[in-house]
Amino acid sequence: MNNILVCVKAVPATTSVQVDGQYRLKREGASLQWNIADESALEAALSLKDKDGTVTVVTMGPPKLEAPLQDLLARGCDRVVLITDRLMAGADTRATAGALRAAAKRLGPADLILCGRRAIDGETGQVPGELASALGIPCVSNVEKLEWEKDRLLLHRRLETGVEVLSARGPLVVSVCEYAYSLRLPGILSMRRARGKTVERYSAADLGLTAEQCGLKGSLTKVTAMESKFPGLRNGPKETDPAKGIQALRAMLREVQP
Amino acid sequence: MISQNALHHAEKCRFCWMCRHLCPVQHQTGREVNTPRAKGLLLSMANKGTQPFDKDMAQAMYECLLCDACTNDCATGYQPPLFIREARTEAVVNELAPEAVMKLIDNALETGNIYGVEKPSYGQDGTDVLVYIGEVAAIQVPQMAKNLLAVLKKAGVSAKVLANEPASGVMLGDLMGYTEEVRQQAKACADAINAAGLPVVVLDSYDAEIMKQKYPEWGCEIKTDVTTATAYVAKLIASGKLEAKAGTGVQGACHDDDRLARTFHEFAPIRAMAKAAGYEVGEMFSREKLAKSCGTAVAYGYMPALVEKIAASRWEDLKRSGCAAMLTASPQAYLCLSLCVPEGKALVDLYAALV
Repeated sequence: MNNILVCVKAVPATTSVQVDGQYRLKREGASLQWNIADESALEAALSLKDKDGTVTVVTMGPPKLEAPLQDLLARGCDRVVLITDRLMAGADTRATAGALRAAAKRLGPADLILCGRRAIDGETGQVPGELASALGIPCVSNVEKLEWEKDRLLLHRRLETGVEVLSARGPLVVSVCEYAYSLRLPGILSMRRARGKTVERYSAADLGLTAEQCGLKGSLTKVTAMESKFPGLRNGPKETDPAKGIQALRAMLREVQP
Repeated sequence: MISQNALHHAEKCRFCWMCRHLCPVQHQTGREVNTPRAKGLLLSMANKGTQPFDKDMAQAMYECLLCDACTNDCATGYQPPLFIREARTEAVVNELAPEAVMKLIDNALETGNIYGVEKPSYGQDGTDVLVYIGEVAAIQVPQMAKNLLAVLKKAGVSAKVLANEPASGVMLGDLMGYTEEVRQQAKACADAINAAGLPVVVLDSYDAEIMKQKYPEWGCEIKTDVTTATAYVAKLIASGKLEAKAGTGVQGACHDDDRLARTFHEFAPIRAMAKAAGYEVGEMFSREKLAKSCGTAVAYGYMPALVEKIAASRWEDLKRSGCAAMLTASPQAYLCLSLCVPEGKALVDLYAALV
């Protein structure tokens, strides 16, 4: 039996990203979607489960995530957990990893914890490593394929120079690349099975976390400024001559190149 | 469970009622419940708990051709077929879908086609293109499949057809929404097509739509070019590989099928085919993006009497145009229009006319 825990994050749809006065993403009014790398991790988990095991999903966010989580039950997940508490608002990666660690401990031993390798909103890619560190277990990053080889996992890691294949035994945290797996759709039978299941909700108190360990208070980092790398892009001069337009575009790309 | 996105589409109506004037089903039944907007309202009420999602509501969700005419003219830019499809999923999950629909679903899951019969094989080897016939043409309109292959042969195209052509998933998707079962059919189909490694020419535009629009989204993209058969044959005509025939002196109007018209915005190829086949091309009032559906094979499977009425209404459009012939290259349109050909009018398979 393999118990797999998958950590997923709801991110604002790319068309509706807004920040508040403290440079925090505004999630309340935004249209949310599952982070694409997390969907990939989820499908990796479900593919492993197709042979054997259970898949539990945990996420942290507003109460409105209950409906999308219910949808994950219909896609074949066995259990879905929503960590939701006003105290959690504004959590950085460290506070997020702390909450996920507490949830993982409460949910019981997992043989494998899967995360997306990075979220499209923050783009830090820090949570998988921080979670592994908090739990005291290894972390393998940038994995694009997972498969069982007897009682061990073969992990294909995408590197700049090629693909590295590792053999590992759980428990461990694995961060999965976006687009490595396409998340399956809800199936009729799994939708019927999901009808009797509910989303489990945990508050900070349920996880044994104090206000100082959560949200902004529990965060080590704070965003102090934010600026666009494309100032005035939409209001810039319009170039109708293709040759001049290409030159202008090249100049603009050189300007924003890190 | 209806997604937030689908509910958004269902609940943001401005009550302009444009969809009411366009819906081919509502035109025939005259029932308010058959308007796309009413379906949105029903779903919204079910979501708010003020109306149960029961068998009557499920029935209403199936009285729709998913022809997309409402989307095309929606003043707010919403897509009723999106929430109607999800409502169908809900109906199947909760065992509320009409019995005739469930029978087709069972057939599609068991045999790979809604007819529940062994699909005839058109298998042949070829090296230029892979022709995807589709279940409607293969089983219900076999002559059109044979005619397309004959046209290609005449133009010197070496066409391959898979011996055991898998279902594309489009029929199952129309019957029970886009579920994992549909994606599995799509995946098997994409795998078989990709193994052939040839550009694909798709006879049924409904199959072409799911292949081009949904397969990439579902992680089972076809790696070669996918072209509708009409577009491919029109190119053969334009390149001179397929010679135009002498004029017949007959005026015909082209029926733009739903998918060619509104998904692919493909109007010119079928008219080029009609001209090359020797027809004088006239036009019906509801054409191109505003084309009125004449029914679909899947809807014919569970509500044949209504589809026959809808097809008869399309023949009325032809009569008003003054044309003598209805010209089509769509197996689904051919199937529906053939149910009620009026006296003195002709239904023409354009592939047959080009052979």
